[in-house]
Amino acid sequence: MHPRLPRRRFLQLSGFSGISIFLSGCGATLFEKQIGKAIQPLNRNVQSLLLEPQEPVPEFPPSAIQPEELLINTYRYTPNIDPEAFRLSIDGEANNPLSLSMAEIQQMPFTSMVIRHVCVEGWAAIVQWGGVKLRDLVSLVQPKNSVGYIYFHSADGYLESWDIASALHPQTLMAYQKNEQPLPPENGAPLRLASPIKLGYKQSKWVTRITLVSELSSPTGTWESWGYEWYAGL
Amino acid sequence: MSSYSSSQKTKPPQPKQAILAKIFHSLNIIALVLMIGSGLQIYNANPVFGGRAGWHFPDLFLLGGWLAGGRHWHFAAMWLFALNLLWYGVYILITRRWKRRFLSAKDLKALRVSQNQKRKNYSWHRFVYTAIIPILLLAVFSGIGMYKPAQFYWIANLFGGWHALRIVHFMTVPIVVIFTLIHSLLGLKVGGIRMIQSIFW
Repeated sequence: MHPRLPRRRFLQLSGFSGISIFLSGCGATLFEKQIGKAIQPLNRNVQSLLLEPQEPVPEFPPSAIQPEELLINTYRYTPNIDPEAFRLSIDGEANNPLSLSMAEIQQMPFTSMVIRHVCVEGWAAIVQWGGVKLRDLVSLVQPKNSVGYIYFHSADGYLESWDIASALHPQTLMAYQKNEQPLPPENGAPLRLASPIKLGYKQSKWVTRITLVSELSSPTGTWESWGYEWYAGL
Repeated sequence: MSSYSSSQKTKPPQPKQAILAKIFHSLNIIALVLMIGSGLQIYNANPVFGGRAGWHFPDLFLLGGWLAGGRHWHFAAMWLFALNLLWYGVYILITRRWKRRFLSAKDLKALRVSQNQKRKNYSWHRFVYTAIIPILLLAVFSGIGMYKPAQFYWIANLFGGWHALRIVHFMTVPIVVIFTLIHSLLGLKVGGIRMIQSIFW
């Protein structure tokens, strides 16, 4: 018998190429949402198990800062905020809701960190952020024990929500300084989230209101509404 | 001579593969197709070479439709890819298959001194499919470095930074594609179409 392509083999091969065309052609987006829904609970649990809420991520020396690598991604526009008139309100499930001025925030203990900022798109930049620990702000308002999540509202309408463990991480900052300089407007001035444990789209710019809640409600975030992963832990 | 029945004709024995090897091989192909398609989708959000201005892969090779869709597929198929590799690794260790079915000192000797071309082809075949195993492990390892850079910060450091890590992770794609071509050709050369069939059915 001469080796040749038997009919069965031919059908098998055409089956394979059929599958690959289906998967990589126009059918490619069909199951994307279902796959995301199916896998996210598992991946979220694995990610939160891996998170060490009190353990700082190792930092970099100031010489490692990459000022050119930090790209600007903005949802809609750069809001023009007068830092003198700016107030940050912190409310929700707290016994002592507050509204703070920039001067009051800048009187609180200052934290500086040089960390890697990682974007969902794949690029990363080593950045210095300076500001106040979010956990210090949260403890000021005396949160109730039921608090499990925290919402961030931004002046441009951008919305984000975090799990409380990540929000209280010692390197989760409300930053007003970037690379040893006052935070520029396009990077979120006067106040933005900065952290080495979440992807960049979780780190809201121009934050004006922080709300403590016990349960997540829809929408959980601007990009999440479009289908981005909610937990997005690093 | 005409009295020879067909069963008596000299015919090489039908190659046989262990069922678990077949399962691993097929799942690995499926996992790699999903990982590469979704990986290139993620790549296109910010190409490793050239950034946003860099060359983008055409839609034909992509899976997920957009960045978040690519990430959903990538971080779902990663479990299939990595767990399949893991159980197969345990399997070849406890059955000692790694000693019999992978590149050995005899193969290396044959590649150097053998005059028998068939023996050499066979050794090349074993050499090539043995060499892809560390590449597959490297894809997982470099992937963990990018997926969990807070906990596994030392992986990016090991490769000399984030960009180097991205390059290493991406380079496993062309290596796997070239491997697939060479592996198929060597399989054909060593055992013909029956050899190829034997790993699938």
